[in-house]
Amino acid sequence: MKILVIEDEKELATDIVNYLSSGNYRCEVAYDFNSALEKISLYMYDCILLDLMLPGGDGFQILKELRSQNKQDGVIIISAKNTLEDRIKGLNIGADDYLAKPFHHSELAARIHSVIRRKQFDSSNLIVFKELKIDLLSKTVIINSLPIVLTRKEYQLLLFFVGNKNRVLPKSALAEHLSGDVADMFDSFDFVYAHVKNLKKKLNEQNYGGYLKTIYGTGYKWETP
Amino acid sequence: MAATLKPFMARDTNGKHHKLLDGPFKAFSVYSLAILVLSIPIYFLVIDWIWVTEIDDHHEIIMERIENRFDQVHVSDKDLETILNTWNTLQPSSSITSLNNLNAKPDSVYEVTKYNEYEQEWDRFRGLQSVIEINKKPYLLNIETNVEEPYETIFAIGLITLLMYGLLVIGFIRLNKSISIKVWKPFYLTLSKLRSFDINEGKQVVFEESEIEEFNELNQTIGALINQNINAYNQQKSFVANASHELQTPIALLKSKLDILLQKESLSQEYADLIQGIQLPLSRLTRVNKNLLLLAKIENSQFGDLEKVDFLVLLDKSVDLLHDYIEERNIRFEKKIGDFETVFCSKFLAETLINNLLSNAIRHTPVSESISVKLSNRVLTVSNSGKHKLEEKALFERFSISTTATTNSGLGLAIVKEVCKQNGWTVGYGFQNSIHIFSVQF
Repeated sequence: MKILVIEDEKELATDIVNYLSSGNYRCEVAYDFNSALEKISLYMYDCILLDLMLPGGDGFQILKELRSQNKQDGVIIISAKNTLEDRIKGLNIGADDYLAKPFHHSELAARIHSVIRRKQFDSSNLIVFKELKIDLLSKTVIINSLPIVLTRKEYQLLLFFVGNKNRVLPKSALAEHLSGDVADMFDSFDFVYAHVKNLKKKLNEQNYGGYLKTIYGTGYKWETP
Repeated sequence: MAATLKPFMARDTNGKHHKLLDGPFKAFSVYSLAILVLSIPIYFLVIDWIWVTEIDDHHEIIMERIENRFDQVHVSDKDLETILNTWNTLQPSSSITSLNNLNAKPDSVYEVTKYNEYEQEWDRFRGLQSVIEINKKPYLLNIETNVEEPYETIFAIGLITLLMYGLLVIGFIRLNKSISIKVWKPFYLTLSKLRSFDINEGKQVVFEESEIEEFNELNQTIGALINQNINAYNQQKSFVANASHELQTPIALLKSKLDILLQKESLSQEYADLIQGIQLPLSRLTRVNKNLLLLAKIENSQFGDLEKVDFLVLLDKSVDLLHDYIEERNIRFEKKIGDFETVFCSKFLAETLINNLLSNAIRHTPVSESISVKLSNRVLTVSNSGKHKLEEKALFERFSISTTATTNSGLGLAIVKEVCKQNGWTVGYGFQNSIHIFSVQF
């Protein structure tokens, strides 16, 4: 999987590359408008992370250029400008998602996972992870051919974990994933613990591989060998 | 314009302050009273003097006339006696009596108080006494005229003076009022404009040109002062917005670095705890910064995308998002929905309003207590249990409630207030039976 990170803040770009590279992703970086434009014209990417404020030009322009070349690369806008107008404008021009800074890398990874999945034509509606099958259309989960019933939040968490394999996920990241912007109005995320506990219990009942680990004091991790 | 002008609506209810024209009014009244009181004896003396001299003159004229007449008309001594007898009987105010000794009594002018039998009172008389010669014989002529008593004169003068003083005071009051209204009109115009001035609106105050130089000068000075203030305020506002905008990237980087750090295989428990300890203040910083930016945007009216917003839908959405936090604190949540029309406003701001009110209630409701949300008759009410009444004035101000709890950004209710202000809604707070009540009237 190839990802292009268009981000002028080098430190942040490096961190994103670091976080994503240990997954199944190969990352390229463009720090300014022109090099980004060059890269999107020459190569194909599964997903492009696009900052809006770039030296040399406007990120929206890159998106327009990409779509005018009829390229179907997935695009996630990552911007400090968290206004509804920018969000709507981005999605209208053809972005697949919009993530406001600051974000947890795990949230970004989950979004990338979701965008890439949607772009794949062959098995777009089914995520298979060893004995686990997640049907995205019917939102059902099957372990070893037996369906398990999850609540909406448990289902969201499961997708989040699968999109962030072998990553330590702090509770705050999970809370933000579940309740979005309102999460940052609170400091206590104990409810995350309850949801994860229930999810774990349901998965265990069907004898899944026990990938979901609690990292004491920090959060959780979906561990695969 | 006249309706907004209430020059005589006294703001000085504590009685310490007076109207500017009340001072001169009092001084004028006291001064004129003093002058008028002083004028009473002067008037009396003058009038009495005129009286007396006039009467004395009159007496002299009468005396000379009598002498002359007797000189011209030659009457026999016998006739004279008859005439004088008749005269003295008919004219008691003047008498002519014969004298044996020519020099027995000197001429004199005198004053005497006598009992008046007809009016049954003591009267003052002015008299002239002179020796005249009739038929070569000396006669004593005595003429007396009733003069006004001093106390009567003083009483009359006093009465008139008092009446005049009354007229004077009434005149002063009337003049004071009409002068006050006319002269101070520009002043009250300025005052009412200043009262309605709100620096948050950023609108300059335009004063009308006054005919009076002093007021023009005052208006110009105030106008300049206000403009300076608006500028300073705008600079401060844009400073806050710029500062929080600049802080976004470092905050994003910090968050990013912590995420990366957490992934380290060799991370010990000790370091994991330290990272956790950094994450809490960092998320508070994020929250404060985000809210400051939001406030700046609302203040600058950057949310122009107005639409018909169904608060019922937004409320349900918000409750759904906050459901976990409500449950976490074991809070009883109650929703009462009455008739409620859609509101024409920015959907984002409406969402922000509801989220802020609800999360504020959730954060401050003690565990296992209750929250109630009511939506009806164009009013949204969020009530939650609490112990003490909060200070309403400070409640909606930025960072006014200092707390050690990191959950509070100190801006949630300030944002609520700002959203309401931008939309012309009123937000209120009340405390009854251990329940905090926040209400928004659309």
